[in-house]
Amino acid sequence: MNKLLVSPSPHIHTKTSTASLMRDVVIALLPAVVVSVLFYGLSELIVLGVSIASCVLLEYLITRYMLKRPSTICDWSAVVTGVLLALNLPATSPWWMVLIGAVVAIGVAKMTFGGLGQNVFNPALVGRVFLLISFPVAMTDWSATKGFIPGIDAASGATPLGLYSEGGVEAISGMNYLHTLFLNIGGSAGEISAIAILAGFVYLLARRVIRPHVTLSIWITVFVFSGIMWLIDPSAYTDPCFNLLTGGLLLGSVFMATDYVTSPMSPAGGIVFGVGIGLITMLIRYFGAYPEGMSFAILIMNSTVPLINKFFKNKKFGRK
Amino acid sequence: MKKTFSIGGIHPNDSKISSDCKINVLPVPSTVCISMAQHLGAPANPVVAAGDKVKAGQVIGEPAGFISAFVHSSVSGTVKSVGPRKDLAGNNVNHIEIAVEGDEWADGIDMTETIVREIPDNETIISRIKANGVVGLGGATFPTHVKLCPPPGKKADFLILNGAECEPYLTSDYRIMLEKPEQIVIGAAIMRQVLGNPRTIIGIEDNKPEAVKTMSSVVAKLKVLSPSFHGIEIMPLKKKYPQGGEKQLIDAVTGRQVKSMGLPIDVGAVVQNVATSLAVYDAVQKNRPLVTNTLTVTGDCLPGDRQRNFLFRIGTPLSFIVDQIGGIPEEAVKVVSGGPMMGKAISNLDATTVKGSSSLLFLTAAQTVRKAESNCIRCGKCTEACPMGLEPFLLNKLARNGMMEELEENAVQDCIECGCCLYSCPANIPLLDIIRIAKGDVIKIIRGRQAAAKK
Repeated sequence: MNKLLVSPSPHIHTKTSTASLMRDVVIALLPAVVVSVLFYGLSELIVLGVSIASCVLLEYLITRYMLKRPSTICDWSAVVTGVLLALNLPATSPWWMVLIGAVVAIGVAKMTFGGLGQNVFNPALVGRVFLLISFPVAMTDWSATKGFIPGIDAASGATPLGLYSEGGVEAISGMNYLHTLFLNIGGSAGEISAIAILAGFVYLLARRVIRPHVTLSIWITVFVFSGIMWLIDPSAYTDPCFNLLTGGLLLGSVFMATDYVTSPMSPAGGIVFGVGIGLITMLIRYFGAYPEGMSFAILIMNSTVPLINKFFKNKKFGRK
Repeated sequence: MKKTFSIGGIHPNDSKISSDCKINVLPVPSTVCISMAQHLGAPANPVVAAGDKVKAGQVIGEPAGFISAFVHSSVSGTVKSVGPRKDLAGNNVNHIEIAVEGDEWADGIDMTETIVREIPDNETIISRIKANGVVGLGGATFPTHVKLCPPPGKKADFLILNGAECEPYLTSDYRIMLEKPEQIVIGAAIMRQVLGNPRTIIGIEDNKPEAVKTMSSVVAKLKVLSPSFHGIEIMPLKKKYPQGGEKQLIDAVTGRQVKSMGLPIDVGAVVQNVATSLAVYDAVQKNRPLVTNTLTVTGDCLPGDRQRNFLFRIGTPLSFIVDQIGGIPEEAVKVVSGGPMMGKAISNLDATTVKGSSSLLFLTAAQTVRKAESNCIRCGKCTEACPMGLEPFLLNKLARNGMMEELEENAVQDCIECGCCLYSCPANIPLLDIIRIAKGDVIKIIRGRQAAAKK
């Protein structure tokens, strides 16, 4: 040893890094990915492949050649966006549509603002909503594709939420909730298995990647609000279990509303944020034109985060 | 449920590798250099000159103000020089260099091992603590006699002894609790008497069950012997860094929170380290000046048989200690005095030990070299970790933009520099480096305003 290194304290650092956190999110998404590939087969695999590859490649090209900065793809965040975007699309999506979604997610929603940490809105959701508005037919085409499990065929036709939006409560009578827990009857790839998403949630909590405040407050809000509406008029409003288990509620509440960058800093702020998402989701589902409201609810609440951060802070030591 | 402080905190690996190493007496080097700035406050004035003969325990520096302390010679010999030298942080400080001859102690110092349990009157206690140069050994080295005399109108409800030793790697407090528990408890009883017999609690983290056991049995034994030991209790605390922070320890033990810019005595608490309690015992019961202390020599790259807990004399060159353990381990790139969270990186090994020295910690490149900073991902881990409830990510941004008013509104002055934010940041943002500078600037502004208001 020749020279002593001198720097201010602390002299040690946690092993947790941005890359390890993002990698944990990818690991937590794996059960949902596996279920969707088994269920929707090769076409889902293509959607996933195109989405991840184009998100990563776009981020690389933009950082290296447009911003002339070192590439940031090693932080795994582009992979997270790629997986989440794919899980939000129908398995029947053509490759060029997935590519457009990736361009909007990475190019517009993420890199325009300065990359990871700077974006106001969740990139994958911006990509999805852009596609939903631009290609409404393709984005709600839940026709069956051939899965990898023989004997189980993907259901075709509308999602439960689509049915309710069209035909009211009668249209969804006879739905089996036990079924939804494991394999949903149609929907975008990430929505088909509640158990797979819950497994990811437990993993994220156990690895201390996220705190439970946002997710739980969304669930409780949706449950309580739809519970009250359902008790008032069960013939007009869907019941709480239906609302928790259908659509993108689980995927959104576990993986997208909890996105570090676009959610509040303090636990108290997280609760306000979650309640807002739950309420807006239910208002759209019951009274809006779209059958599903999760994506819009998260994006709307994303825009309130700076305000929430300003008003809901942690209690400081020795101060009121 | 074991108690701990209520806000934030982190759980680094405690790495107490040297916990089984008994305290060894470090040999006396041939020359010592004793710093005149071993305490918080004004550096002491040297009262010896080159050529003077000194004995161990003889005063060589006198306090230069109200908050200052006596400095004594740790060896017997001849003063070679008095003048500025670099301390371990590289600052120029007055040192007295003494060539060691024999080991003769000044008159009136009891160097026997006999335990003295009879506690003298308060006047004697304070005068001995002051005359023997006792300072806080938990890190801040605040003169102990000042802390034990609360300002008029303020009363201590609690005396808290800090046996948390929450910094990873350090084991010197643990070893003295195992090897000198009775002296520590008597020291606590002495301070308790001076403070008017408040409730006295010795807080020890639960990663040191042996220390909890040993200290508890000594307290039980002493309680039977004399009523002066009643009112002393041991409290195991749930392990969490920075439990040993003064404000955090008071919160953990009493549930009271010291207000921003306030002092512990404002909430009726006085905190002393267990090592300080031992120094108080030595000063009051044995009339021994504070010229020795215990120091841990450790690190993951230091082989097990070279780990040590040393009883050292102040003024010992660090290079002498390094030679005793067979040199700096090859893998080490940084040597830290103190713990890895709040210790100081040593810039020169010619520097010497001071009263408050607690360790020589060797760290490898993999452990300590900072990685490149990347974008803040707003994960909130720094906010979660901050034991003062601050928002380090926000303070960092405000500081980088020079927004002084907003920094003060967001309580940058409350930062205790524990390092939890920088430790936790997954994006390797040098949060504390930046906040520390901003804190200094804001405190200057606050002081300036207070001074202007007085006029």
